[in-house]
Amino acid sequence: MKNSARRTKAAIAIGAVALLPLTGCAISSNPSGDSDGKTTLTFWSYYQGAQKTWLEGQVSEFEDANPDIDINLVETVGDQQDQKLLASVATGTTPDLFINNIVVDFPTLVAGKVMADLTPYWEDYADSDQFPDGAVWQSDGKVYNLLPATNLLGMYYNEDILAEYGIEPPTTLSEMESALETVTADGTHEGLALSGAPSVEGAWLFAPQLLGEGVDYCNFEGSKVTAAFERLDAWSDAGYIPLSAATWDQNASWQQFVTGKYAFAFNGNWQLGNVADAGFSYGTAQYPAPDGGKSQVFPGGEGFAIGAQSENPDLAWKFLEEAILTPDASEKLFQSAGSIPIRADSADLPALADDEFVQPFVAAASDPATWPNNENTAEMQTALGKAVSAVISGQSTGEQGAESAISDIASAAEEGGGDC
Amino acid sequence: MTATVTRAGAERLTRQRPAPRQRRRFARLPAVYLLPAAAILIGFAVYPMFVLLRMSVSDVGPTNIVGEWDFIGLQNFAEVLSGSEVWQSALRTSLVAAVLLASNLVLGFLAASILAVGGRVTNLVLGIMVFVWALPPIVSGSVWKFLLDDSGAVNGLIGLVGVEPVSWLSSPSLALWAVAGVVAWASLPFSTLILRGGLLAIPAEVIEAAAIDGAGYWRTRFQIVLPLLRPTLWILAILTVLYAFKSFDFFYVLTKGGPGTATNTLPVQSYNSAFMNFEMSTGATVAVVSMLFVVLIAIPYVRSIRSEVSE
Repeated sequence: MKNSARRTKAAIAIGAVALLPLTGCAISSNPSGDSDGKTTLTFWSYYQGAQKTWLEGQVSEFEDANPDIDINLVETVGDQQDQKLLASVATGTTPDLFINNIVVDFPTLVAGKVMADLTPYWEDYADSDQFPDGAVWQSDGKVYNLLPATNLLGMYYNEDILAEYGIEPPTTLSEMESALETVTADGTHEGLALSGAPSVEGAWLFAPQLLGEGVDYCNFEGSKVTAAFERLDAWSDAGYIPLSAATWDQNASWQQFVTGKYAFAFNGNWQLGNVADAGFSYGTAQYPAPDGGKSQVFPGGEGFAIGAQSENPDLAWKFLEEAILTPDASEKLFQSAGSIPIRADSADLPALADDEFVQPFVAAASDPATWPNNENTAEMQTALGKAVSAVISGQSTGEQGAESAISDIASAAEEGGGDC
Repeated sequence: MTATVTRAGAERLTRQRPAPRQRRRFARLPAVYLLPAAAILIGFAVYPMFVLLRMSVSDVGPTNIVGEWDFIGLQNFAEVLSGSEVWQSALRTSLVAAVLLASNLVLGFLAASILAVGGRVTNLVLGIMVFVWALPPIVSGSVWKFLLDDSGAVNGLIGLVGVEPVSWLSSPSLALWAVAGVVAWASLPFSTLILRGGLLAIPAEVIEAAAIDGAGYWRTRFQIVLPLLRPTLWILAILTVLYAFKSFDFFYVLTKGGPGTATNTLPVQSYNSAFMNFEMSTGATVAVVSMLFVVLIAIPYVRSIRSEVSE
């Protein structure tokens, strides 16, 4: 009987141990803390390629200059990082530092209490006046997120194709339409490669057709919206945009452009490092302006933030100040990954001034549009992306696309608190 | 009826039959051994299910995913079910299930019939099928994405016979069928192996008796083999529908629910709501609605399993 009771207790103990991970007593695989007199800061990053190399270089330099601090870079998956960050608040394991996609993540992460308030650090930061308002992401008057460099959209064109037809790079959407008509008329070349995916990417690529007319997510309605969707519908019907663009992400559309078949592409400055490999002459220009409006795009890029539950926020700020926000860090990021430095004292960097291809993106960075500050910003963008994809593919007419985008964006904004 | 038990027999009985207390201990032991498995099942299946259900009757977004969840009853269900999107997604999911049923049952039966004959070629084909079945959907899905691209190999092949390129994944009228076709391709090996096992279990004497009675090949297939395979086909059909209702990976890789909303099935809608738009409650509600469909289908499956066992 005693043996039986002992066995029963042992089995219950085994079961309890099996259940331990579910009790919230999560075992952090990357705790920050002190070991061997060193302090380890955990940094979650989804950077890949050149950006990852840049970050690793900055971390290495910082560790050399601060031998008592280790930075533990943890690689995450970009489109899953928000979920992980939100979950980390529940388990008390937010990283000390992390990057985030300002286009999608900021309102969600602030609302989810993932980000530490950086206001005291920012107020004491000597170089804060070098950063424009667009680089300092705030909510309720508090600073949470900093953007050291920006990524923006522009237009790439195949100079060989344009020369063949004697076309100048278009500066307005009307000129763009004429150029597309000319280059696709004889069926030799394709028109425009862009992402029309039913996601934030499709929205990000389409939004500039309205931003320059003063229409953004906060006033997304009216005849200008309908006209923009009808133009998209007409371009798709005429074959200026391929049907498959309805599912292309930005990388897929870029791969199509570098085949040399397409006259134009809408894409970001992060492709500047790749366009040199194209087997044709190319050029860059700002995103064509809507008629009667100006060329304006949303600013993109990665914000840098400190985790709300970081045990070493001062050291995390020290890392941001010494390794991320400096002019040197901005210049290196531009040289390795093409991101446009945002500091005022970086505008005259020779690397930027001497590069004709980057100038349209620098010009775009001087007057970017403003993102809404609404926790449902991601949903608003997805709604627009779905409508864009539906119109390009022929699932919806231009008018239907405009109607669904207007109504879905309005309801998402309202659910998100209604503010912008 | 009375029985006379000898002393020796009584002793033997006493030796063979444990004491009542010992019997109880032995009877209780298996349940004790089940505890760890039960604990893991509760932790990793029942508890998440409970959280999902709780989320579907609460107001949960990014602001309160950590913290208090306000109970709002069936409000989420009212909102989700009153919109057209969930019904369109359910219809698309049902169409995918129909394609999979046709593929798994008809093509699966044909393939199993061919592969029921042993030999080197059969073994090679079975090996390839198991390889296809074991491929991660992310990998095979990415390959299919390239093959079905407008300038992909599939259009290249049909172009050889003068057919114009087809927008397999970007045409709203074709995309769902194209993705369903890929899902069917991936699940065909499983159904073939199941049905092949069922075919090999049919006694050869029955087939021989039918032949002696003058039944031809097709008559034997339809009047002898198929009725004997009916329990296997029934279970396979239910598993196929369940698979269709939880199929997400190929849709995610190939179209992400696009173009527009053309391939938005219930799992895709649930994922997008919860993890793209951070409407956790809506995502959970769509998942529960999808789960209810699955439960309705799973009940006959469990019953048929029980009847199989009792037979």
